[in-house]
Parts: sequence; structure tokens; C-alpha cells
Amino acid sequence: MGKYAIGEFEEIVLLTVAILYENAYGISIKEEIESRLDRKVSVGAMRTALDRLEKKGFLVSEFGEATAQRGGKRKRFFKVTPAGKKALEENMDARKKLWAAIPPIAFEFKFS
Amino acid sequence: MSRDSSPPKIPLRLLRWFCKEELLEDVEGDLSELFADRYATDPAKAKIKFIQDVLMLFRPGIVRGIHIPNRIIHQAMVKNFLKIAFRNAIRYKGYTLLNLLGLVVGIAASMLIILWISYERGVDQFHQKGDQIYQVFRNMNQSNGMVATSSAIPKPAADLVAAEYPQVEEVVLMSWSLDFQIALGDQNMEEEGHYVSPNFLETFSFELVESDGEDMLHAPQTMVISERLAKKHFKEDWKTSIGQTLRVDDSYLSTSEDVKIVGIFKDIPDNSTLQFDFLLPIEPFVRQSSWVDNWGNGSFQTFLVISDPKNSEVVADRIFDEINTHTQDNDLAGDETLILHRFDKKYLYSNFENGVIAGGRIDYVRMMTIIASFLLLIACINFMNLSTARSARRSKEIGLRKVMGARKGSISSQFFLEAMLLTGLAVILSVGVVLLLLPYFNTLVGLELKLDLSAGITWVFLGGLTLILGALSGLYPALLLPTYGITDAIKGGVKRSKTSTYFRKGLVVFQFTISTLLIIGTTIIYQQMNYVLSKDLGLDKENVIAVMMNADLPKRIPSYKAELLRLPEVQSVTVATGNPINYGRSTSSANWTGRDPNAGHEINVIIVDEDFVQTMGMKIVAGRDFTSQLNDSTNFLINEVAAELMGFENPIEQKLSFWGIEGNIVGVVKNFHMRDMHRPIAPLIITCFDPSDAYLALVKISGDTPKVLASIEEVTDSFTPEYEFDYAFLDDLYARQYRDEQLISRLAAIFAVMSIFISCLGLFGLASYSAEQRSREIGIRKVHGARVQQILLLLSGDYSKLMVLSFLISIPFAFYAARSWLEGFEFRVEINPLLFLLGGLVTFVIAILTVVSKSYQVATLNPVKSLKDE
Repeated sequence: MGKYAIGEFEEIVLLTVAILYENAYGISIKEEIESRLDRKVSVGAMRTALDRLEKKGFLVSEFGEATAQRGGKRKRFFKVTPAGKKALEENMDARKKLWAAIPPIAFEFKFS
Repeated sequence: MSRDSSPPKIPLRLLRWFCKEELLEDVEGDLSELFADRYATDPAKAKIKFIQDVLMLFRPGIVRGIHIPNRIIHQAMVKNFLKIAFRNAIRYKGYTLLNLLGLVVGIAASMLIILWISYERGVDQFHQKGDQIYQVFRNMNQSNGMVATSSAIPKPAADLVAAEYPQVEEVVLMSWSLDFQIALGDQNMEEEGHYVSPNFLETFSFELVESDGEDMLHAPQTMVISERLAKKHFKEDWKTSIGQTLRVDDSYLSTSEDVKIVGIFKDIPDNSTLQFDFLLPIEPFVRQSSWVDNWGNGSFQTFLVISDPKNSEVVADRIFDEINTHTQDNDLAGDETLILHRFDKKYLYSNFENGVIAGGRIDYVRMMTIIASFLLLIACINFMNLSTARSARRSKEIGLRKVMGARKGSISSQFFLEAMLLTGLAVILSVGVVLLLLPYFNTLVGLELKLDLSAGITWVFLGGLTLILGALSGLYPALLLPTYGITDAIKGGVKRSKTSTYFRKGLVVFQFTISTLLIIGTTIIYQQMNYVLSKDLGLDKENVIAVMMNADLPKRIPSYKAELLRLPEVQSVTVATGNPINYGRSTSSANWTGRDPNAGHEINVIIVDEDFVQTMGMKIVAGRDFTSQLNDSTNFLINEVAAELMGFENPIEQKLSFWGIEGNIVGVVKNFHMRDMHRPIAPLIITCFDPSDAYLALVKISGDTPKVLASIEEVTDSFTPEYEFDYAFLDDLYARQYRDEQLISRLAAIFAVMSIFISCLGLFGLASYSAEQRSREIGIRKVHGARVQQILLLLSGDYSKLMVLSFLISIPFAFYAARSWLEGFEFRVEINPLLFLLGGLVTFVIAILTVVSKSYQVATLNPVKSLKDE
């Protein structure tokens, strides 16, 4: 995994940003996760995750338009970088490899 | 969107405060958006959620560090400031050295002064009950309107206070200083101590090292001694000396007894005004001395413990007239009142002027405090002046910084930082200098001052000093330099504003005013001291040795004198009950024909023998000298002041009585100074009634002093072999009275030199800078034929004006200060205007020489050199 290491929550955030494509900003990401995965996401936790991902180079961000609803503050839109994509793929590959390595009998729960 | 739907203010402000700047905008936006969504459904919940969200954002990664947004830039800036400061310091070594030298001299000098001041202020401050102990003083109102103040209080007054004053918790009595011979076996030493009341050690905080636990200072034939005394006699076993005995020769009780040691106290520290090596219970002495029970006799120093300061006023009011109330029936009793004085203030406020406390050492402490602060100020001014004058040098740097976006604050802080760095360095160097100089300074002031580097307070002080001095010296440059316009600054042609030039000149004037003031002050102190020490005292104090007569020697005066006179170098010998130039034994019971019975008269009495007037070289102005002790035992000499006080037309053959002796006045001696010059000459009666009361032999010698001294010692030893030969030269004794003044005059001289030195360093810097600035002008002038003298005149002209101005300003201050100092002396020099002129001239010459020495280099420079870089 090395330099593409990401945590579980980070992975979810990264995936959600990818899902939202051009509309990935704070609130939309939060709501997307909440509706799709049925879990509560605090603004703080999400912010930290986004910040970390951006520092790691898996996300880039740019400011969009300001809206009145946001008290005149601009939205910061996020986009997944190629490195981000690579990280997601590595993550998926790793899981796949692990799944593939599981002997079928391990999940035979009939007699236990 | 209605106003209400905007998010709550306080959490928002909190968020803005803690959130990283780069995250703030969209975080705040997100929160606002969320809030707006929630607000639509449930406004109350939206607010709570908002607060929750803000609080949840308070986590690492979002919260800014204290300086996190600036940290990298900030560090880089500080690094840059340091580098630039260092490079500038190296590049202009001369200026850095000038600045540093001025600061170090100023700081080191004032640190020494501050050490001295803190010692002075610390004297007697170690007593836990210090602010509750009051000493009683007795004011004796005399017929001539003067008031003499004494610390010897009649014991009945103390007893009365103890019995009837509920506000007074303790009354402590302490005798005058006792000089007793204390012996163990054949080892005999003279020691100083007191008789004291049993509560003495509970009242004053003198630490006990050993005691046998009994009530100390109660039982007769017990004593408490100092560690030093114990070590002297018992060597290493001193700790176990409790219960042992020493033989004490009590000359007041006329006993020589074995006295048991019941306690040992730690050696009295130097910063105590009470100094003693043993304490004896006062009780046996009181029992045997009926004279102490008389209201008219001052006997013991009396201390009262009053814990509530308010009560002290009550006590002071009530005690005031006690003596007069109780001596109403006694016609001879004088008009005497009692006053209270806080014990812990006694050291610094010890001068009584007409019965009222009028300063004391505190005046010198204040004077030195002012001098110390002036020295620091002068050193700071150097820094200010040099850095603003040379600002053109840095103007390009300032301009460039501004172009790159530096704010005023950043440039200010740069100059503050530079000032701090330099003062910090100066403070460190000064500590070294002080450590180096302290032994010499200690010899000078006769103290054991220490710079305690292990004490936290020292570091707080040094840190504080750095901050204050740094701020002071950095303030003006830091305010002035950032105001330069960018283009002007970059072109290097900042027009020097008139205000800043005036300000700089003002500071120079200030420096030299102080220096002139100190120089004039020093010369006046010197002149007064010279006057005091060389004044004709009315008697001849040169070549007179005062020898202490111990044991029964006073009873054998005739044979002792005869032996001494056999020495060829001894001219004459007399005896006296004390040092005639520092005399204080007096009576208030003298009576003469025509005495006003209602007025109190305190008249000094000195008992001598028939050779006194002649040996001391005094003059008889009327009547005759004593011819022989036998014939004249009830004849008296008086001094002119006494003659005036008694009011006789012709005092000769008038009757006079005191101490139960009745007799006639046979002569009047010319006034001589029997006390220091601070005080007027007091009335005096000279009698030879019973010379065996005397304890000093006064020996007038000539020839080789060490040899005579040895011979006198030999003779004295043959009479009292068991005692140490104890002597002093009269002129030394006299000079010793002015130790404080001489110390102050020496200190003032040193610090005056320092102040002018520091001021001149600054002036040197300024002069060399302006000479440099005008080098082209000078070149052109020289090309057109100006001579070196003319150029020197041109360059020093400006500064001469400043010097004259500072001289004029210093005159009134110097005059006022000199007058108030001299007023402390009854006998003093006139203030001589020439001295002022001299002081001014000295400053002027030194200053102009400083300027010229630098200008000369420029003036003699080949104009080709200064003009070619055009």
C-alpha cells in the first residue's frame, strides 16, 4: 500500500467525491454519505478527512461561486486526482486479493 | 433571507477565532448552508446543531496553532531580522562598539548602585515583627529653641507604658553598648553587648542556634552569646558550650563573675543596626542602680511592640507628655517629650532636626537612585540618537522591505528586536563587568555586596532591565523609521525632518545637562568635604593619639602620665571623658545665677585634667586656664556658646553647679567643634573635678610615629598587661565621622565621570556621522580655500550651542540641589558661582574635544578623496 494508504472513512469520502463528480463540496459530500450509507457524519470529521486527503494529494479543490444561502461564502469544490484514483484502486485491489485468498471453507458456517 | 436565519453570532466568532484561515471560508459557508437548511424545519434545533458543529470542529487539523498561519513566514522573518542585525553590527563595528560600550558602562554602573541601594534598603528588614516595633525617642527642648533628641528613655516611662497601656503588647529595654572583658581561663577578650529585657529575643528576630530551653535572659549570671564569641573561646566544641561558664568583668556592677551560657545566637548579620556579641539580663543591673528609677534620667533604649498600626497613633499621643506630667514637682527637670519611630525605618530615617525626623541616609539612597536611572537613560539616548541619525544608512533596506510588502509593524518590530538584542548583550556583558568590579566596589563602600546569580529575583531583574532598556532605546527608532516614504527611502534621500533633528538635539542637551549637573554637584560635595576636613576646629587634632585606659588605669593617671612624658617624642598628655571632637555627655541639671527655671538646658560636661587646654591647643578668650588639678577642682572653664547661653556680662568668677558640684567659672575657651559639622556647637563645661572618671588619654606627639606608638604601647602594657593596647589617631577619628559623606562624594565623582563618558561616546558617534555626511561639502570648501580651523569651527559650532544650552539649563537644578544638600550642614561653604562655570567649562571642553577629534580626520582629508566618488 505504501504511499497510497488511506483510512476507511477517507476511502468513503474519496469515493463520494468521485460519485458527486462536479458537485462535490462540503455539504453535498456529507449528505451523500449520510443518505447512501445511512451513517451520521459530523462536519468536523469530514473537514479533517478532506483536508488530509488534499494534503496527501488525492484531492484538489477550487472555489466556486458564493451563494446567499452560505452567508456570502464560496463553496470549495473537490475533485479526485489521478493519485486519488490510484489510491482507491490499490485499496480495492488489496481487498480483492484478500478476498481471493480466503479458502471457501472459511465461510462455510453450516456446522459451526 | 430574514435576519433571523443567519447563524448565531457567538459560536461563529469562536469558529473564526480558532479555525485555520485557509479553511475558514468554506467551513463557515458549509455551516451556514447547513444552518439555513435546518432552520427551515426547526430554528431552535438548527441553532443547537450549529453550536455542536462548531464545537466538533475544534480538533487538530482545523484549529490553527498559536501562530500556525504565520509560522513559516514569521520564523523566516525573525531569522532575517537576526541576520540583518548581525550583519549591520559587524559592518559598522565602530558604532556597535560605541553603543555597546555606552550601554555596558551605564548598566554596570547602575547595577552597582542598585546593589548598594538594595543593601541600604534591606538594613533591619529581617525582623519578623519589624513593622510592629516602635522605638521611643526623647526630645529635650532647650532654652535656645533647639531640640536635642536622645534614645535614652527614663525607665519609669517604660514601666508606666508596660503597666497602663493596653495597646502595647511588649516593652523591651536595651542598655547602651557595654564593653566588657570576657574570659575563659587566661584568654581575655573585650566584647560588646547589652543588658536587655527577657522578651528581647522574642521581639527581635535574632536566630538562636543552641539554647538550653530555659527562659533566657531571666536569671542572673546567665548570658546569651554569639556564635562568633562561642567559637572564639570553645573552638570546635562551641556547640556544646551551653551550660559552661565565662568570666565576665561587669564594669557597671563592679563584679567579675562566672556567668553561665544559656543560649547561642547566630552572628548578627551586617545589615542589622543592632550589633552585639553577648546579651545579659537587665534585671540585676536595674536592681542595683537606683538612678534608673528617676524620671529625670534617660537610661535605656526602649522598644514597644504595637501590632495594630492604628494603635501606634493612640500610644504616640498618650506617651507624648508623660515625662512632663511626672516631673512637674521637679524644678530642675527640663521640658521633655516622647515620640515614637518605627524601628525598621530607623536606619534610613535617622536625622532628628528639632525633634522631628528629617531624612537621613534615605536622602543619599534617593540621590543614588536618581543617578542610577539617569545613567541608564543617558546610555539609552545614545542608542536612540545613533540609530536615528544613521537611519539614512538603512533607508534603502527599509524601502525595499516596504516594497516587498512589509508593514509598519514589521519594521517597528525589527528595530525593537535590534534594540533588545543589543541591550540583552549589554546586560550580559555588564553582569560580567559587575562581577569583576564588585570586589573593588566593596572596598570602596566598605560592604560585602554580592550579585546573587542563583536567586530568581536577580534574573527577573536582569530580564526586566533588558526589556525596559530595549524598549526605551528602541522606541524612538521603531516609531520614526517606518514612517519613511517608500520612494524617498529607496532613493536613499530621506529628508531629515526638522522634528527628528530637534528631538535628537534635545536628547543631547538632556545628556549633557545631567552630566554638567553631576560634575557641578561633585565639585560642591568635594569642596564641602575639603572644608569640613581642613576646617580649624578650634583645637589641634593633628598628632594626637587617643589611648583607651582600661581597668584601674584611670586611678593611676599621674604615674601613667609621668611615664609617658619621659618618652622624648611625647610633648604633653591629658585625659578626658571622651573624644573631644565627638562628644556627647551632658547634663540638664546645671544651675547658675540668673538661670531661667522654666527653660531646659542640656549642657555638655567633659571631665579632664589640668593639661587639657594646652595639649589640645585650645585658646582661652577670657579668664585663665586651669593651673593644677588640686587648686582648680571646683573651678570650671566654659566655651563661648555656654557663656552666651548663661547670659553673663562677664562670666568669670560666676557661680555654677551641676551633678552636685559647686564652683566658679574661671575662664572661657574659644568655641571648638566637639560634634560633626552637621550640628551647631553645643554649650560645654570643662571641669577637672575628678580626672579618674576619664577613660581616654590624649597624647600629643612629634617625630617618628610608628616608633612613638610602640613606646606608648610599651608603657601602657606595663600598667595594664592583661588588656590589648587600644588607640586611635584623633584626626582619623574625625575623618571617620564623615565616612558617609566621603563615600557619597567618591561615588558621585565616579558616576559623574561615567555619565560624561557615556554622553561623549554618543556625541562622538553623532559627530563622526555628521562629519561623514558633510564630507563632500567639506571637500568643496577646501577646494575653495577653507582652512582646517575654519572647518573645525564649522563642524563643532552646532555642538557648542548645544553645550552652552545644557550648561544654562543645568544651573538652576545644580543650584537647588547643592543648596538643599549643604543645608544639612551647620557649617558649610558658600556656593561659589565660579564652580558652576568650572563645571560647565569642563563639560564643554570635553565635549568639544570629542567632536573635534572626529572632525579633524575629515577636515584634513584630501578633498580629492571625498569628491572623487561623485
